[in-house]
Amino acid sequence: MLLALLQRLGQMVFVMFGISMLVFLIFFATPGADPAARIAGRNATPEVLEAVRKSFGFDQPFYVQYLTMMKKIFITGDLTSFVNRGWKVVPAVMDTVPVTLSLVMGAAVLWVVFSLIIGIVAAATRGSWIDKTLMVLGLIGISMPVYWLGEMLNLITQSRYHDTWMFSWVPPLGYKNFSDDPKGWFLTLVIPWITLSILYIGLYGRVLRAAIVESLQEDYIRTARAKGLSEARILLRHALRTSLVAFVTLFGLDFGALVGGSALLTEVVFGLQGVGKLTYDALLNLDLPIIMTTVLYASFFVVMANAVVDILYMLIDPRVRTA
Amino acid sequence: MLKVRDLSVSFRTEQGIVRAVDGVSFEVGEGELLGVVGESGSGKTVSLLAVMGLITDPNAIIAGSIQYRGRELVGLKSRAMRVLRGKEIAMIFQDPMTALTPVYTVGWQIAEQVLAHQRISKAAAWQRAIDLLAEVNIPKPEEAAHRYPHQLSGGMRQRVVIAMALSCNPALLVADEPTTALDVTVQAQILDLLHKLRRNHGSAIVFITHDMGVMAEIADRMLVMYAGRVVERGTKEELFRVPMHPYTQALLDSIPPLTGEKPRRLRAIPGTPPILLNRPPGCAFAPRCAQRFEKCSAEPELGNGERAAACFRVTA
Amino acid sequence: MSAPLLEVIDVAKRFAVGSRFSRQGVRTVHALDGVSFTVMPGETLGLVGESGCGKSTLGRCITRLYDLTSGTLRFAGTDITSLSRRQMRPMRRRIQMVFQDPYASLNPRRRVRDLIAEPLRVHTSMSETEIASRVAELLDIVGLKSEHALRFPHEFSGGQRQRIGIARAIAMNPELIVLDEPVSALDVSVQAQIVNLLADLQERFNLTYIFIAHDLSVVRQVSTRIAVMYLGSIVEMGSADDIFSHPAHPYTQALISAVPVPDLDAQRSNKRIVLTGDVPSPINPPSGCRFHTRCPVAQERCRSERPPLMEQSPGRKVACHYPIAADATA
Repeated sequence: MLLALLQRLGQMVFVMFGISMLVFLIFFATPGADPAARIAGRNATPEVLEAVRKSFGFDQPFYVQYLTMMKKIFITGDLTSFVNRGWKVVPAVMDTVPVTLSLVMGAAVLWVVFSLIIGIVAAATRGSWIDKTLMVLGLIGISMPVYWLGEMLNLITQSRYHDTWMFSWVPPLGYKNFSDDPKGWFLTLVIPWITLSILYIGLYGRVLRAAIVESLQEDYIRTARAKGLSEARILLRHALRTSLVAFVTLFGLDFGALVGGSALLTEVVFGLQGVGKLTYDALLNLDLPIIMTTVLYASFFVVMANAVVDILYMLIDPRVRTA
Repeated sequence: MLKVRDLSVSFRTEQGIVRAVDGVSFEVGEGELLGVVGESGSGKTVSLLAVMGLITDPNAIIAGSIQYRGRELVGLKSRAMRVLRGKEIAMIFQDPMTALTPVYTVGWQIAEQVLAHQRISKAAAWQRAIDLLAEVNIPKPEEAAHRYPHQLSGGMRQRVVIAMALSCNPALLVADEPTTALDVTVQAQILDLLHKLRRNHGSAIVFITHDMGVMAEIADRMLVMYAGRVVERGTKEELFRVPMHPYTQALLDSIPPLTGEKPRRLRAIPGTPPILLNRPPGCAFAPRCAQRFEKCSAEPELGNGERAAACFRVTA
Repeated sequence: MSAPLLEVIDVAKRFAVGSRFSRQGVRTVHALDGVSFTVMPGETLGLVGESGCGKSTLGRCITRLYDLTSGTLRFAGTDITSLSRRQMRPMRRRIQMVFQDPYASLNPRRRVRDLIAEPLRVHTSMSETEIASRVAELLDIVGLKSEHALRFPHEFSGGQRQRIGIARAIAMNPELIVLDEPVSALDVSVQAQIVNLLADLQERFNLTYIFIAHDLSVVRQVSTRIAVMYLGSIVEMGSADDIFSHPAHPYTQALISAVPVPDLDAQRSNKRIVLTGDVPSPINPPSGCRFHTRCPVAQERCRSERPPLMEQSPGRKVACHYPIAADATA
């Protein structure tokens, strides 16, 4: 078990290396384009171009360029944005990470809890009106665009009904540090959490229901019934447990992607300076160093989330443990 | 102890009603081994699932009477049935590869059943699981209890399923083709084990199989089923020595012998088993029967005696 | 004596399982190990053994569905061991295979007519009318009606589907047919029909069969000679009658005694040998004689020294240091 774990972590490092190499090649070794010109941004003076060339070692072989780049990102952290005139990239990205993490983790708690409840209740009452209602609600949740939902909630809680007793607690848009103001942190994030999680609650609830209903057809469920166990126990201990694999797989992929910047729309709607927003702005300005850094950061989270999922597999399913 | 009267199980399907089990009656005495033989689709498994109350299909219609020690099981509340199931009536399934939940250790799964029916501590239930594993001849039961199903061979898993079924000393054990999925040397081990357990526990057993050889070995009394009905009933000796129904006779004839002179050709039964959907009237076996005559277009009755066959040639 | 149709010489097949990242790393399954035999034209060689003994792998090696790890296959005098797919094509007409589950091996979206015609279209230049009449002829040969030609596989019962599979296999007038558990999935009452059909076809078209099955009474019925396999090797070989009346290998003896016989008198006289334990894993086969871990008469020598398959009497081969004498079981 421990060995398998270490192996998995080793694999992760290997994949990370591969990704950083690939990203570097895409950005700096695409034939026919001068990387210095792209880093320097539009309308750069020849002096700036020359400075970029020197700073990134573009007159040297590729592997030196790669090492220089990695050093700038991971060791010295002094990668500089030329578009934004001397802005240090690494601290800028690091500033946005807590915002995105707060948003995604809070939403993840909501969506895991509620989708579990919906999936289990729907599977337990399969075929009944409760099941059908839950599944239709889930479908509605999936079909509501995040930016629309977010704007609607903003409209209701920030302007129209803000002064009623129901929403007067909602603070203005923006982000408050957890360490400075825990209560403010929580209150500003409640509405974004709900917005972001609705889609996933619907999706996960439906996926989980389908997985449980499928498990309930298995032979071992018949064995469990023959043992004289209660329906609740059969559902929770036998059917749910074996259905969690699909759930955890999805969760790992979505969580990794969201932390990596896919929560962009929610961040924009609620004025949160997260990773997605940063990447979005950098794309508008063609700010290559920032894009490169956020892409690396995002891939890091996706890979890490996948490793965590694999480890969870080992806990959920003993067959994976010994395979 | 078990009296089944006129049991019918039908399934509503889009094409019409499928009568999987059609007016089946039988009895099982204390400590007796009743063998039920039949081919796929003969209704042998469905009728025993009905006894266990394990038909969960909402499209199933169950009619007739199933009495266990004087208690009517048809229409019994699921809660009351659950108390019986696993405690007094237990079941062994055909495919040991899929009959156990893959994510729990086998010890846990046996202890779970013990805890569902007895008020004892978890430690005592675990100890009981180990004792049961030892009883079904699993080597190193303490270690085996910690294993997951996928770490055990098919024969070992079937032993676990048997141990589980025995965990509450059931009075009635329903075994649905428990050796069909196993290799022949492992089948021999399991049949041996069932012999021993029968002596020690004294449970009555209903044993479903399509294998006449297995039947010859273990049964006391037998039922032969065809197309959802019982076509012949009697003791094992009667059935093997003087089969009354042409189907039983043909079934015995179609098996290639293991010793003695090899027949040049096997005496095969022509045709295929009937489709149960919208079955035509008359004897279901008649289209394949070498001895059919005019009367066979009507439905033959199975007599009430201990020894009976549903055939006009016999009753005529 | 005529020349053998098929010669299998010292064939081995190993599979790699697992991945470099799993705990045990890549492991080797020794599916077949030093298997040799010959098949004469017109005979039926039965291959019996329990799951994991390699009998199905052997069938697939003979039809070149799998490549051999080592050893030689010679068909009608031609070495076919390492023929390329293209070179193998003319051979495929002469060697056919029938599988256990006819449903899984027939494309569900094609009509019976097209399923049977497919090998004719691939291998011959017959016109469509010739093909149509050949399909009708084949349906008749295997006992199906001509109106069945337009139906789909799911409209048939298991026995009928196996008839379709057989019609497909004999379409090209093959010489050798490898039958991999052809009746195991069928009901008893239908099994006998297929066994009879196979016997009729063999007589009519002078076919040679390799019949793979785990059901000993069926194998005895159809086979001229039988090879008993255990953990990737042949442990005993001989004529069907000899093997069943005087098994020489302790495994063969136990295997035969384990079969429940539907005959009350035979049951009483039969002393069953119940083997302990399971078949060991072919990943880590036991040393010496591979059967020694379960053998009731194993000696010290069996643990270390592997017995070769030796001719015991004419036509009879046994791989055992201490074979059972013929008179002991008579």
